[in-house]
Amino acid sequence: MTNAQSHLTEEERHAHAEGSLPAEQLPVIETHLLGCAECADDVARIRTLMTRIHDAPAPAAPPPLDELWPMIRTRIEASKVVPLSPNAIRLDGRRRARRIGSSIMMTAAVVIAAVVLGVRARSHRAASDAPNTEPTSLIAVADSAHAFEEQAQTLLNQLELQRSMLRPEAVVAIDHDLRVVDSAIAELKEAIAHDPNNPALRRLLASSYRQKVDVLKRVGNAG
Amino acid sequence: MRIAFVSAGLVLICAAGAIDAQGTSADGPLLRAHRATPPLGLKMFNPAGPVRLVGWDKDSVVVRGHVAKGEKFYFYGNDSSMKLGIDEHVDGRSNAPSDLVVYLPKGTKVSIKTVTGDIVASDVSGWFYTVSGSVRLSGSATTIEVQSMSGNVDLDVVTPWVHARTGDGNLLVRGAPQDVDASTISGTLSIASPTIARGQFGSVSGDVHYAGSPAAGAIFDFSNHSGAIDLLLAKSVSGVFALSSVVGSIENGFTGVRPIAATSHSVRLSLGRGGAQVAARTFKGTIRLRPQ
Repeated sequence: MTNAQSHLTEEERHAHAEGSLPAEQLPVIETHLLGCAECADDVARIRTLMTRIHDAPAPAAPPPLDELWPMIRTRIEASKVVPLSPNAIRLDGRRRARRIGSSIMMTAAVVIAAVVLGVRARSHRAASDAPNTEPTSLIAVADSAHAFEEQAQTLLNQLELQRSMLRPEAVVAIDHDLRVVDSAIAELKEAIAHDPNNPALRRLLASSYRQKVDVLKRVGNAG
Repeated sequence: MRIAFVSAGLVLICAAGAIDAQGTSADGPLLRAHRATPPLGLKMFNPAGPVRLVGWDKDSVVVRGHVAKGEKFYFYGNDSSMKLGIDEHVDGRSNAPSDLVVYLPKGTKVSIKTVTGDIVASDVSGWFYTVSGSVRLSGSATTIEVQSMSGNVDLDVVTPWVHARTGDGNLLVRGAPQDVDASTISGTLSIASPTIARGQFGSVSGDVHYAGSPAAGAIFDFSNHSGAIDLLLAKSVSGVFALSSVVGSIENGFTGVRPIAATSHSVRLSLGRGGAQVAARTFKGTIRLRPQ
């Protein structure tokens, strides 16, 4: 509550009803309630409701976790491709040590490889935004654009099936967004036709298709 | 006793009938109240009219608001999972605007959908969807996912993860998020947060504005087709900036710094000690790099 004219806040009303108001706030709140029928009625109603709820029978307690676990375990095991035998995790100490040792070595090898590759990748990234003709990069972004394009087509087909059921305001927004994205895609495709080895163009095309997929995915929620 | 409302749904349902249209406050009459057991999941739908969600420190859910004449409010669920909102008309008629205010435990994971109504929420996580309403989120959250077809989105949250999309609405990212994936189709995207560690920002024809200084080690990727990318950076900024445009221009305002590499449509620049990595690319939009 900020001043005499405004009503009590939700928290203040509940705190007063349940008797948990700090002592220093109580006089101010009480004074307000004396002069404000709306808040006083509301607090009285909350208090009545709480009393009635208190008098209601308590809900049954859930079964203890120990009782639930065997059932959960059975369901997990049933969904596994290869069920875990009860003894599978009981390795003897020597086998366990050997296994941990080999895991550490493998992890170390992976980390070293990742660091080396990371350093290489970083040095490659230096020139990644300038047009280049590196075939691997070009294939990767082309694949990415192609994957988004296929996904967009599938979603477009779904949109056409849903269109008649969509709200008019949603249809207007979707059509507007698709026009903007399609126009960008058309420009990029034309540019790629003139400069097919430019990975920056392919990356922009992939990005535009990604935007299109995002728009079409939002359609699914607009119904 | 900190439990404001001990559930017993049946009692509440009976009691609520008496409460409807009687209890009033700035938020409107009490529509429903229920005990909540964290982690709470709450699903809500309001086709027309605003929705306000307030995370609070109580273990209960309280719904207030004004339900328009002819509209039907629904609420069902249990202590850990609830569904509420306004029913749609089966005959396809438009709903009259009803406004709802929901007080719920902080950290509740929500799934909110409106058509034209604005969504305002503080201290709640989850999924927020609107066709043409605006979305304004604040406070702390574990995850935020916002989708709007054409509304404005304003995110001022402390959260590890944000995913935000809008069409021709404007999108503003501020507060203290860590991982951000934000894009518009033709609306303006503005980013003003110093805490983002990984950011992917994109638009098709809207301008993208970034103001601030990327955190040390941050990785940003800006992409636009025909809109501009405007990076307004603190003078103390530290990062490597790779800017490229296929047919657009690149305006480098850091004239005192010699680029590592530069062609007619690409510039690579290292500022400060090079702590962050920022890539910006457009097809025909202008890229501007400016000191604050």
